[in-house]
Amino acid sequence: MSDGARMWRMARRIRNERLMSVRLKIMAPILLLFIPGMAWGFADPNILLPGGHRPDTAMEILFYASLGVVFGATMCAVLLAFDGVSKDRASGMLELRLAQPMPRTQQADALVLGFLQAIVLPVVVLMVLSIGLVGWRTGLWTTAVESAVYIVATGLILLWYVLFALLASTAAREQGTAVAFGVGVWFLFTFLWALFTTMVAYASGVAVGEANDPAWIALEGRLDLLSPNGVYHHLLETQLPTVDRGIPAWQVWLAALGWTVLPWWWLRQRMNNLVP
Amino acid sequence: MRGFGPSNTMAKVVLTLDQVQHRHQQPAPRWFKPWASRPGPGVVHLSLDLHEGAILGLVGPNGAGKTTLLRVMAGILPVQQGTVKGRFQSETLHHVEDLRPWVGHMPEQVRWQGHRSVVEALTELADMRNVPMKRVLSLVKLVGLSDRGDEPLNNLSQGMRQRLSIAAALLGSPKVLLLDEPFNGLDPVAARAFSDLVKRLASKGVSVVISSHMVGHLNGLIDRVALLHQGQLLDEGPLKEVELRLGLAGRYRAAGSGILPEDLLRSSEVEVLEHRSDGAGWELTFRGLASTLVQKLMANRVSIERWGPVEPDLVEWLCAATGMEVDDISLDVQAPTMVPLAGVEVSEDE
Repeated sequence: MSDGARMWRMARRIRNERLMSVRLKIMAPILLLFIPGMAWGFADPNILLPGGHRPDTAMEILFYASLGVVFGATMCAVLLAFDGVSKDRASGMLELRLAQPMPRTQQADALVLGFLQAIVLPVVVLMVLSIGLVGWRTGLWTTAVESAVYIVATGLILLWYVLFALLASTAAREQGTAVAFGVGVWFLFTFLWALFTTMVAYASGVAVGEANDPAWIALEGRLDLLSPNGVYHHLLETQLPTVDRGIPAWQVWLAALGWTVLPWWWLRQRMNNLVP
Repeated sequence: MRGFGPSNTMAKVVLTLDQVQHRHQQPAPRWFKPWASRPGPGVVHLSLDLHEGAILGLVGPNGAGKTTLLRVMAGILPVQQGTVKGRFQSETLHHVEDLRPWVGHMPEQVRWQGHRSVVEALTELADMRNVPMKRVLSLVKLVGLSDRGDEPLNNLSQGMRQRLSIAAALLGSPKVLLLDEPFNGLDPVAARAFSDLVKRLASKGVSVVISSHMVGHLNGLIDRVALLHQGQLLDEGPLKEVELRLGLAGRYRAAGSGILPEDLLRSSEVEVLEHRSDGAGWELTFRGLASTLVQKLMANRVSIERWGPVEPDLVEWLCAATGMEVDDISLDVQAPTMVPLAGVEVSEDE
């Protein structure tokens, strides 16, 4: 068996185990409410958003509905992967795995891919359902490119949170620390980042209260590149011609690459130096 | 049947550890550097040869560094100082990571858990070693779990989990087998079967290292013994030779009813190590020609109920090797700093 095949087999095993886990069954209704549920709500033909705005494209509806991914799916990714390493460390299985000749970097890759698939597969199914729901309720359909960007961007944000959770898991000696770290990072980027952005804006002399102030929009756009959730929204905004926050698409994709490569590389390094 | 007898020191050396050191990092936070750490316990400047087909008993109290040493040999922990050299078939390996395909490792305690079956759990590890399914099934049978192959891990007893760990260690047909406290949780029958299995593997040329803080379990099983304390190797060699060097060889214990005349002991050509006597009977520990003393006792109609050689005892060994009292040894186990211990010269070329 080739190295790649061996890694995919391990990933598949992790995926199947987590897909059948009680944890995912508990989270399934949350995902159902947050992803197709939000798409259903924002696809209401009579919806009136704050400021009297009414979404006029399918992608815009999905963009608003992506809040469900940010709030629900990322949290599920963290809850699935937070004990990816620490549980094995506690049970002694990690010692057995680390003693195997399979390179540890490949073990790290298998962990990432396994946990990612476990959360991405149900989420993608629900996203496809969302696209269908939006089309059915409004008669507006996304293009193939929009759908692809929507799904790829969501896959990427889930990957980032899986990576954060696994990194925390490699550092944690017990489950409580691992979950606290994973949820802490999620909380930081999901809720506290707005506070951080506001504080930076205030310190920079930007009018914080002015929602349409170009300086505020530009600053928020730049700072969002430093947050996975921000990059996720930037990625989706590449398909919304009416939104321009002054960040070119190549910078957004570059930031996405950075958020993918750096934590993954860090996880591989940690696995190489991991002690049971 | 044994592979290479205890006295066969010409057996090929498969693994050489030369001045190997691995010390665990301990947190030592400072005001401006809260993540700071310093070297703590582990193994220090340890040199050891592993012979083909030999069974080495790694003996020492809790915290002696047995598990750390096994993890270094298994390629799990890095060598911070010193060198490791493995010689398997035509290959000579210099990095611990390269040893992994040749080494089977059984950790002290693996809590096999989950809804996966026994076979599935082993298959996962087998895939990591490129081991075929056929081998997995034969190992399940070998460790006596063939009836439980489809059983979820959650349903296994502690002893069954231990057997599964043994099977996992044997997956890659290892040349070196590292067993960390393998007797924990095994019932006497399983322990006997396990000992037989280890001997059988050794007879096929597998080098086995068994760590234990219970020397009794290793009696009759090991060819050589390595005595560890505070991360340092106090002595290593064939069991009898180590006993001899520590001044603990040739000891006998006899006990009987009635009174043992003191003058009889004085006139005997034995060294009395301990003599206890009360109204119920007497007990004598001595070194020397046991048959002479026994004959003399019998000639004087002293009742002897039992007598025999004194079995090796970890506490006595440690006391003899370190020159410390038993209380000092037990208190020193967790000492974070390593200081050279009182000395027994270690000969590595035996």
